[in-house]
Amino acid sequence: MQSNCWRSSCWPRVRSVATSLALGLALLGAAVPAASAETQVRVAMTAADIPDWTGAPDQGYEGYRFVGFSLYDSLVLWDLSRSDVAADIKPGLAESWSIDPNDHKRWIFKLRQGVKFHDGCAWNADALIWNYRRTMDTTAPQYNPRHHAGQSWLIVNIAKIEKIDDYTVALITPIVDSLLPYEVPGWFQISPCAVEKVHNDYAEYAKAPMGTGPYKFDKVVAHERLELVKNPDYWDKSRVPKHDRLVLLPMPEASTRAAALLAGQVDFVEAPSPDTIPKLKSAGMNIITVPYPHNWDYQVRADRPPFSDIRVRRAANYAMNRAEMVEMLQGVATEGYGKFIESQPYYGNPVKYTYNPDKAKALLKEAGCLPCKITVGISTSGSGQMQPLPMNELVKEQLEAVGFEVTIDPIDWNSLVDVYIGGAKKYPKYDAINVSLSSIEPLQGIMKSSMTRYQTPNGFNWGLYSNPEVDALGEAALAEFDTPKRNAIIAKMHEKLVDEAYEVFIVHDLNPRALSPKLKGFVQAQSWFQDLTPISVSP
Amino acid sequence: MWLYAARRVLFTIPIGLGVTIICFALIYLAPGDPVQSLLPPDATANDIAQLKHYYGLDKPIPVQYILWLGHALTGDLGISIQTNRPVTDEVWRALGNTVSIATISAVLAMIIALGLGIVAATNIGGWADRLATAIAVFGVSVPTFWLAVVLVIVFAVQLGVLPATGMGSKGSNTFSWFEWSEARYAVLPIVAMTLTPLGILMRTTRASLADILSQDFIQTLRAKGLSETAVIRHAIANALPQILAMFGLQLGYLIGGSILIETIFTWPGTGFLLNKAILTRDIPLLQGTILVLAMAFVGINLIVDLIQTLVDPRIKRI
Amino acid sequence: MSDIPADAVRLAQAAPTAHRVRGYWSAVWNRLRYDYVTLLFLALIVLIVLSAIFAPYLAPLDPNKSSMASRLKPILYKSFILGTDEQGRDILSRLIWGGRTSLLMGIAPVFVATIVGGFFGVLAGYAGGKLNSAIMRTMDVFFAFPSVLLAVAISGSLGSGLINQMITLTIVLIPPICRVAETATTQVRTMDFIDAARASGASTASILVRHVLVNVLSPVFVYSSTLVSASILLASGLSFLGLGVSPPTPDWGLMLSTLRQSIYVQPLVCALPGVTILVTSIAFNLVSDGLRQAMDVKA
Repeated sequence: MQSNCWRSSCWPRVRSVATSLALGLALLGAAVPAASAETQVRVAMTAADIPDWTGAPDQGYEGYRFVGFSLYDSLVLWDLSRSDVAADIKPGLAESWSIDPNDHKRWIFKLRQGVKFHDGCAWNADALIWNYRRTMDTTAPQYNPRHHAGQSWLIVNIAKIEKIDDYTVALITPIVDSLLPYEVPGWFQISPCAVEKVHNDYAEYAKAPMGTGPYKFDKVVAHERLELVKNPDYWDKSRVPKHDRLVLLPMPEASTRAAALLAGQVDFVEAPSPDTIPKLKSAGMNIITVPYPHNWDYQVRADRPPFSDIRVRRAANYAMNRAEMVEMLQGVATEGYGKFIESQPYYGNPVKYTYNPDKAKALLKEAGCLPCKITVGISTSGSGQMQPLPMNELVKEQLEAVGFEVTIDPIDWNSLVDVYIGGAKKYPKYDAINVSLSSIEPLQGIMKSSMTRYQTPNGFNWGLYSNPEVDALGEAALAEFDTPKRNAIIAKMHEKLVDEAYEVFIVHDLNPRALSPKLKGFVQAQSWFQDLTPISVSP
Repeated sequence: MWLYAARRVLFTIPIGLGVTIICFALIYLAPGDPVQSLLPPDATANDIAQLKHYYGLDKPIPVQYILWLGHALTGDLGISIQTNRPVTDEVWRALGNTVSIATISAVLAMIIALGLGIVAATNIGGWADRLATAIAVFGVSVPTFWLAVVLVIVFAVQLGVLPATGMGSKGSNTFSWFEWSEARYAVLPIVAMTLTPLGILMRTTRASLADILSQDFIQTLRAKGLSETAVIRHAIANALPQILAMFGLQLGYLIGGSILIETIFTWPGTGFLLNKAILTRDIPLLQGTILVLAMAFVGINLIVDLIQTLVDPRIKRI
Repeated sequence: MSDIPADAVRLAQAAPTAHRVRGYWSAVWNRLRYDYVTLLFLALIVLIVLSAIFAPYLAPLDPNKSSMASRLKPILYKSFILGTDEQGRDILSRLIWGGRTSLLMGIAPVFVATIVGGFFGVLAGYAGGKLNSAIMRTMDVFFAFPSVLLAVAISGSLGSGLINQMITLTIVLIPPICRVAETATTQVRTMDFIDAARASGASTASILVRHVLVNVLSPVFVYSSTLVSASILLASGLSFLGLGVSPPTPDWGLMLSTLRQSIYVQPLVCALPGVTILVTSIAFNLVSDGLRQAMDVKA
């Protein structure tokens, strides 16, 4: 084939054709879908896919926040109605609970009467026990390994459930566990009738899932959207949704979420990236932030140098210029000086490692670690990780300014979670990792990450931190059933852990959300979880 | 020719087998645990082992391959770890969404490229040639994902005339090409997808046409007194097999390489599925999607080859 | 994302038709020196490459020095000639430094793939028979994947990072180069002048070097040069998907990806990495085309 080359000997100036294209497309634009009488709230989630809706949500806590607590209830629920105090627990499918005065391993739960699942199936002690076996009993026909994998961690401290009468049960704990009520919210109760109807086939059940929650399942378009409708018969009349339909859309890309909100395709956006906030505000969107117990911090290996030396741990804490981090994040975070936030009853009065580079340098020198070489495992994205790349770059810079020498190893989120669960010993490469987690309650918040018996792989004390004083405080708290007294012990434990600098505390996420001006009445709770039911939609 | 066709068809079998091996092997290079994403951060090692057993991920790899291949041959690509639905259904549904926009983009690119290519080839060195060539060079040089982001900002956010994301106002189930309120969701993805094949097809058209127009028989036709339009029509007919072949390849590339565009526009096709599978380490879904896409590509290549043999008997390949 | 030019086979089939051993390169140069567009863009590429090589001397500021006070500043703000990024780092310096990674991604995989693919292609073409079948059928399997799909599959499996990205791109590029080399070699092998050389008693090695290689070299070289732009685009696409180099390494694709979040704050500044990729890609495309023409490899 003879060619005269597809270019001739000279190229014209490359001209943009965008202008004419733009005009053409602008003419095509106009059509807008007709408004219907039904009101809907369309939520853009950060999740990569629609979280599981059969009762064991995945995709991080977003699955619990939007799918789990919408379709289902737990024995105990989080009270998400206020934004001025840290969210605490409240009765859910159990009306009340108390510890057996004669046996501190026996909790008595009174179940709520008159509650029906969406399919009319009755909620009672049998349903609870059926659900327990679904999650824990491998011999039960309704046993679901996925549900076990996703939910058993919530009820590991329930060894057995005894039926006392139709609406009274005893939960037997293997250890003395005063915090049990804080552990069970999130263990969702699904309708036994609905599962039996499809002969325990959960793929079938997924087509018509039945819970007791404030929303009912309507339809799903795989990977694209989950549509729920309001449950007008919800047992808690104050939480019957004030809109007809809740549409959940997975949108992992922050810029896509922002564009979708600006283009009017969604009404409620999770975690808009800080730099889109000014644009969203100028377009009339409401930006809502609230402090909540979420830690963006570094877990450090306390069992080997350099972080086995408390001076090095403190130096890292003093090196953090948290104000600068907050500024970079455009104010969507607050400075973090501990695992809990001040509005929680467990905060206490811990020491504060305010930015002090000179002290940090002095401590490192004293510890004889100069330059102090460390390798940090971070993720490139992930639920609750905020903006991991730029944030870790800044941490690296701040640490290096005082004499650390930091190697950042960015891996994908699932691999980092693998490192976290697998434990420090399995991945000896890392001196620290950046896995951010919530501390809405004490057990998850500090105990499982600091007590010796929760060292990985038996808990998530990744850094293999071990301190007899901390262990004693933890055990004491678990054995104390008087809430104020227990809180005091936990606060003391928190003070001790902060003093020990057992982690590098950096910031607490404010979890910004952007809402269309059409949405009214949303109250952002100080929690990972949120209640969407009060939202009303103005046309 | 029939012999060639038969051999060509037979030839795809070992290729297909090779493809399955690659698909299967790739996944095991992966770091991280495939069932991890299903589990809460504090799941125990025991939970993980139990779940792996449930999905058969604890068997030796060759055994897993044979099992997987056997099932794949019967159209069973396993169950998606994320959604618990058959991978075959997932990929099939997504493939339709990808094929539709890819085909429209390829056809659109072809039409524009033919127009531009003809103008260019008949005015070599002229301003029309230069403009057409500039468009083509832009098309093959622009990072299309970047262009896609710009399109979203201009048309969805600033002008507000087209949607930024998704397929249809109620999801792909209710999407329709025949209602503007739905079809408008496809406009930006198609525009972003069209540019690269447009550049390549324009280049092919121009080169083959220019080549044919410079050959002796065209001079003969002209000498015979044929009108210039008739001459060009004749030249196009001669260049067509080549252009068609390139069209087929481009269509295959669009279908197989849609991951960036579909990710940006949240268009629920195979590329989007692939990205989700990578993000969530959904091994059966990842394997299934790659396998189906590669097989589709092999199939398109086969068809293109056969058509080419049919329309252009001069081609005799071994 | 641009795909790998698909006309590999045709390009090679149309390869050498005559002895081009002597006087060939001077003829090429003669053609090239009057092709001002190619020379102009060649100069641009040289400029970009030099600025990447001499980044430490040319970059006005430290590409990794961030400052929260001066984040996302416009073009010509104080000493920041092209503004700053989301961490207040100098965009111009990062673009200059980023050229190192991005050009490396464009050139190194093509280079390695040309050697490896070229070697196997020539081997297959010259040996023929079973060896040819073994090599080429293996390549055919890789051809069954569209390049983007193959890159995503390998990269998605290996994980992100500079080395993994280079490995991915190299693997993706080897099969087409191998095919071009094989086709060209097969054609050259069957030509009369090889028989003549054989008849005159030349050794296999000398035939390979003097005739086969020389005649195969130009189509392979030209074809490889068309791949540089494709490789740059592919690399930036992988970075965009989070499968590329790790931050804070300055890299055009990565810059493009992260600055996307800030596009509403500084649209112009955030468009710069995209423009840089576009211009570089255009330059490589035009130059490879000019080369193709000058070297008289028919397309």
